[in-house]
Amino acid sequence: MAYDTLREFLEALKQNGQLLEISEQVAAEPDLAAAANAVSRIGDNAPALYFDNIAGFTDARVALNTLGSWANHAIAMGLAPTTPTKPQVDEFIRRWETFPVAPERRDNPPWAENTVEGNAINLFDILPLFRLNDGDGGFYLDKACVVSRDPLDPDNFGKQNVGIYRMEVKGKRKLGLQPVPMHDIARHLHMAEERGEDLPVAISLGNDPIITLMGATPLRYDQSEYEMAGALREKSYPITTAPLTGFDVPWGSEVILEGVIEGRKREIEGPFGEFTGHYSGGRNMTVVRIDRASFRRKPIFESLYLGMPWTEIDYLIGPATCVPLYQQLKAEFPEVQAVNAMYTHGLLAIISTKKRYGGFARAVGLRAMTTPHGLGYVKMVIMVDEDVDPFNLPQVMWALSAKVNPAGDLVQLPNMSVLELDPGSSPAGITDKLIIDATTPVAPDKRGHYSQPVRDLPEAKAWAEKLSTLLARR
Amino acid sequence: MICPRCADEKIETLALSPVPGVWEVYQCQHCLYTWRSTEPLRRTSREHYPEEFRMTQADIDNAPQVPTIPPLLNQR
Repeated sequence: MAYDTLREFLEALKQNGQLLEISEQVAAEPDLAAAANAVSRIGDNAPALYFDNIAGFTDARVALNTLGSWANHAIAMGLAPTTPTKPQVDEFIRRWETFPVAPERRDNPPWAENTVEGNAINLFDILPLFRLNDGDGGFYLDKACVVSRDPLDPDNFGKQNVGIYRMEVKGKRKLGLQPVPMHDIARHLHMAEERGEDLPVAISLGNDPIITLMGATPLRYDQSEYEMAGALREKSYPITTAPLTGFDVPWGSEVILEGVIEGRKREIEGPFGEFTGHYSGGRNMTVVRIDRASFRRKPIFESLYLGMPWTEIDYLIGPATCVPLYQQLKAEFPEVQAVNAMYTHGLLAIISTKKRYGGFARAVGLRAMTTPHGLGYVKMVIMVDEDVDPFNLPQVMWALSAKVNPAGDLVQLPNMSVLELDPGSSPAGITDKLIIDATTPVAPDKRGHYSQPVRDLPEAKAWAEKLSTLLARR
Repeated sequence: MICPRCADEKIETLALSPVPGVWEVYQCQHCLYTWRSTEPLRRTSREHYPEEFRMTQADIDNAPQVPTIPPLLNQR
């Protein structure tokens, strides 16, 4: 099932009992964020939330937590809502391998219904903006896809980037935008700014779930998010041309904002409660000027609550972080079996691998740190053997407890790069990194006494089947 | 009215509720803190605003650039 719009996805969530529509009147603050915060805390399979009766508004519609559980993530992928986590990651990997799938160009996007330009734009008129966390400096757009192009190669479709970056609404037509230096938009901005130019952007709000997942996926610089979206939804992704910038944008969005990141300008922004479970602190951040807004009649405002993990963002970026790391490692080291980088956007990753020779596993861990995503994340890697499932944390704990001797299994690298948001980094953006090699040493690495592992008895498999049958018959 | 976060006095109105008289959105013109009049006191009142989120001139002056502005090519 491929959804072209947020509304189709909401309908699918509803059909699967995963959309909670709340019709009683609520206050924009603190109710909307508190509800989205709470829904992550009341157990697995949290539903999406939909509010349409918000005090002081006449036509407000707010959707929250649409991807905030494994059930919702499965529905987004067109899978049964009961699909466990690891099979969802496996299916993500399988579809990834069909990349690229060419997009489908369409006319008459629903967001062309209404247009406002220049000083007539007031984002507060278009969207029911609200605060998420107490210490946030203002109201944020934190689930929008931002489209930009390589200023030196503007016709290169693959280098056109679609990414999700936090944006603070700082005026009727002014945003603060955070381009993390390791992200593609920061490369675009750097090229524009060293030439004294603005960087045009198109911002797409209220989207189908797959482009949201792609906006959060660290693809290679020249890989198109639209072509990967086609692979992930097993159907060409519908795009159209934005009227002001001429950029390719999702056909099915609720709202399209177009304008520029104003070159060589920074202004106080934040703080913002981030995916690290900590506030970012105030930063001098880039400034976006909106020149044109296009939107559907009565648009749905999609937002995302984030706080101490796990919240929606951890589901959103979980598989989307594991899979590119796995693919990038596997391309060079076919011995790699699985990657679990679901913890805080991959600040910690667990990788299982076969070993060619002693020292191999930690080399794979080093390579994970130099992937595009690893440069800004992957602060810690736990390397485990091929028979340990990185998604099975009790197995990982066994490997850590039994396979590690700190005398030789910790590889610490000083003053490496990490995104500034890592609260442990000092100065912000610089951290030591650590590989914990919890694999069994192989020759010529002969450390430890690992020659006598206890293996499952050869007869245990048949007994497992027998016991299962007996249990089922009871 | 002063800014709950930095105590500056220059406050502008950014938005009014579509249903008249329910709320206003204000913005401090100094630290750019933005709030709705109907939010809890911990977000709208200087007196109740948490110490750890208050912002001083030094905080604004010392806020790191993200990302750093590169040198202009033609000036290298």
